[in-house]
Amino acid sequence: MKSLLNNIKSRFSIKDVTEQRSNLVFIDVARESAVPLITYLRDYEGMTHLVLLTAADWIEENEFQLTYLLNNPEQKFDIGVRVRISREKATMETAHHLWEQVATYQRELKEMFGIDFPGSPGVDKPFILEGWDDLPPYRRDFDTKKYSEDTYFPRPGRESNDPAEYMKKKMYPNEK
Amino acid sequence: MSLKDILSPFTAWKHVVKDPVTIKDPFTREAAERYRGFHKNDIETCIGCGTCEDICQNAAIDMVPVDGIETRDGDSGLRPMVDYGRCCWCALCVDVCTTNSLSLSNHYNWIDEDPDQFRYIPGVDKKEWDTNEKGWKKPEGNYELYDINRVKMEEQAPESRDDSFIEIVKGYSKEQALLEADRCVACGICTATCPAHMGIPEYIKAIRNDDLEEGLRILYDTNPLPEICGRICTHKCETVCSIGHKGDPISIRWLKRYIADQHPSDQYKEILGTRDIELNGKTVAIVGSGPSGLSAAYYLALLGYKCTIYEKLPEAGGMMRYGIPEYRLPYDQIDKDVNYILSLGVEIKTNTNIGTDITLEELQEQYDAVFAGTGLHMGRSTRVPGTDHQEVYQAVDLLRDVVLGKEIPVKENIVVIGGGNVAMDITRTLARLQKVKFGKVSIIATSLESEDIMPADREEVVEAREENATIIPGWGPTKIETEGEHLKGLHVVKCTSVFDEEGRFNPKFDEEQIDYFKGEMVVESIGQGMDISYFKGDIKENLKLDNRGRIIVNENFQSSIDWLFVGGDIIQGPDVIHGIANGHKAAIGIDKFLGEG
Ligand code: SF4
Repeated sequence: MKSLLNNIKSRFSIKDVTEQRSNLVFIDVARESAVPLITYLRDYEGMTHLVLLTAADWIEENEFQLTYLLNNPEQKFDIGVRVRISREKATMETAHHLWEQVATYQRELKEMFGIDFPGSPGVDKPFILEGWDDLPPYRRDFDTKKYSEDTYFPRPGRESNDPAEYMKKKMYPNEK
Repeated sequence: MSLKDILSPFTAWKHVVKDPVTIKDPFTREAAERYRGFHKNDIETCIGCGTCEDICQNAAIDMVPVDGIETRDGDSGLRPMVDYGRCCWCALCVDVCTTNSLSLSNHYNWIDEDPDQFRYIPGVDKKEWDTNEKGWKKPEGNYELYDINRVKMEEQAPESRDDSFIEIVKGYSKEQALLEADRCVACGICTATCPAHMGIPEYIKAIRNDDLEEGLRILYDTNPLPEICGRICTHKCETVCSIGHKGDPISIRWLKRYIADQHPSDQYKEILGTRDIELNGKTVAIVGSGPSGLSAAYYLALLGYKCTIYEKLPEAGGMMRYGIPEYRLPYDQIDKDVNYILSLGVEIKTNTNIGTDITLEELQEQYDAVFAGTGLHMGRSTRVPGTDHQEVYQAVDLLRDVVLGKEIPVKENIVVIGGGNVAMDITRTLARLQKVKFGKVSIIATSLESEDIMPADREEVVEAREENATIIPGWGPTKIETEGEHLKGLHVVKCTSVFDEEGRFNPKFDEEQIDYFKGEMVVESIGQGMDISYFKGDIKENLKLDNRGRIIVNENFQSSIDWLFVGGDIIQGPDVIHGIANGHKAAIGIDKFLGEG
């Protein structure tokens, strides 16, 4: 792992390295280095298996974070390549040419976070949400509760009470 | 079409002879140990705070009344009902539950043809998985969705405060207040317990939104003395705070102070919209400028009444000024609250004693209504032998004399009788004066009540000890030892219980266990009585009292004499926030009585 890290540090602009466990390291890279780094790791460092591609919404910093989790099946360790992209212009270079299944992950991220991957096959096709017309639901500014309340009618007979209001009614109904 | 396409359906035939990969009978198969299945709720522990309902992103939970569960302080009486048509088993409700009463069993299969069966109240509607120990519980350790520890309040250290009257509590900074406000789950359980029913979750929300003007407006809706209450309120609200079940209750009192502290008083009228109040031509006299009188005056002034307060002492505030020591409540903070009320056109006549300087009858003639909130200022005596000695004092008298700037006869060794807040106030005040005069503290406070049931606020006892006062709970005074004009000490006997089975005051003693506390001065602080000698003649005759001598008032604090409203400590016992609350109610009552409300 040490020599691997030295190899990539000399070739790519790495922002940060977090050694989570002896068999798991996270590498933060600048956006333009991400796909070249992943390609290098696949082709020269034995990280031949893509475990997953996922995103997180750092809304306070106005960024999304993409994590490409790669695995070296021979030496049995993982590397997570993390990259921050702007939340406003949420696009990222596609990586489907490296592994075919990346296209599926990218399609999911497009639907759930609204992150675009131009050129990724079928990226605009609905993934699991059909006829979705709201904010992408994994964005943190999507109000899940409000959506459920607006979209799904309550079962007939459902009724709730606000604890403070209810206590007033029961304990001091005549006071202001 | 390729040959593969034609042949591949036939390859499926090979599965006919293979064992299926699916499970034949999934209904008897137990789920994994921590599987998130149907809910369980420990109904006795749940307090109906509704936080589970609030966090549910699927709106799957309703808070519903349950037969046999009573609404009371600290418990709304409601319990969560889950709609499994919407539940997604995320278990956020379990993780946030303020009492840890809620959990999920690992039971996941349940068939019924009636869809309404899938809405039920866990713990109330009996289910077979109620006793299932497996499933999802909030993980142990420090996994919490909110901070269970309160933001620590900075205070003057004992050694830097024990010889002066500087304020001990420093108040929250903005960062601290935001963090503390963030711990609140806004359940609102506290509101019912606050005597003034303040909008507590609402003003805490205003802090979170950093909208402190809104915060001030919410405070003044129900409490016109926020600087004062933000410091010395007995904060009953905090005793029922849902967050207190697993950690420290929210510092509601300090957050109130934080809001009030942020606004200079010259902005109040602007913020509270009280620049132009139209007078309605009616007048009200208020006797006493304690919390109830000030509160009545404030809410009456808002309604357009011209109020005049009559105060016996040189300055406004009643017990808040003349009973509570400055290290807990600095005078300038009292002035801030009081001056704002006066700025609304409320007049105050100080050094004016009702009964001697002006009579109640005269007030009746001059005003449309009268509110009397004259408080409890007469210290009660234990009446044990020796109490008539000249070195036996009443706590309330001494506390008043300190504020009036009179000479206090501080002795080198002092014994205080009493275990309430007033007893702690006088103990700590005299300890400071001893420190200044003798360079050391030698004061013992002893109460009938044992430590666990001492009526004083816990922090008062702790802080008194930090200041080197000795607190010895659980003893009853029997005799004060005197020798001519000198006082020698106090004899005590062990008190084994204070209240009887019915909860009545009926102390029991163990005569075998006795002790003796040396001292040259004894201060009694076992409670205060009222002085209503200003009710004379017809008024006295017509004023209805109950069989224990207390003035009878209706829910508007109107007495049996229709123009006379009475409130504050003489009606509800010594407590600032109760006084504020009933002054407010009396103001509404007076407004009704005078035909304006
Ligand atoms: S959060 Fe817990 S204590 Fe509050 S109502 Fe829900 S189950 Fe009861």
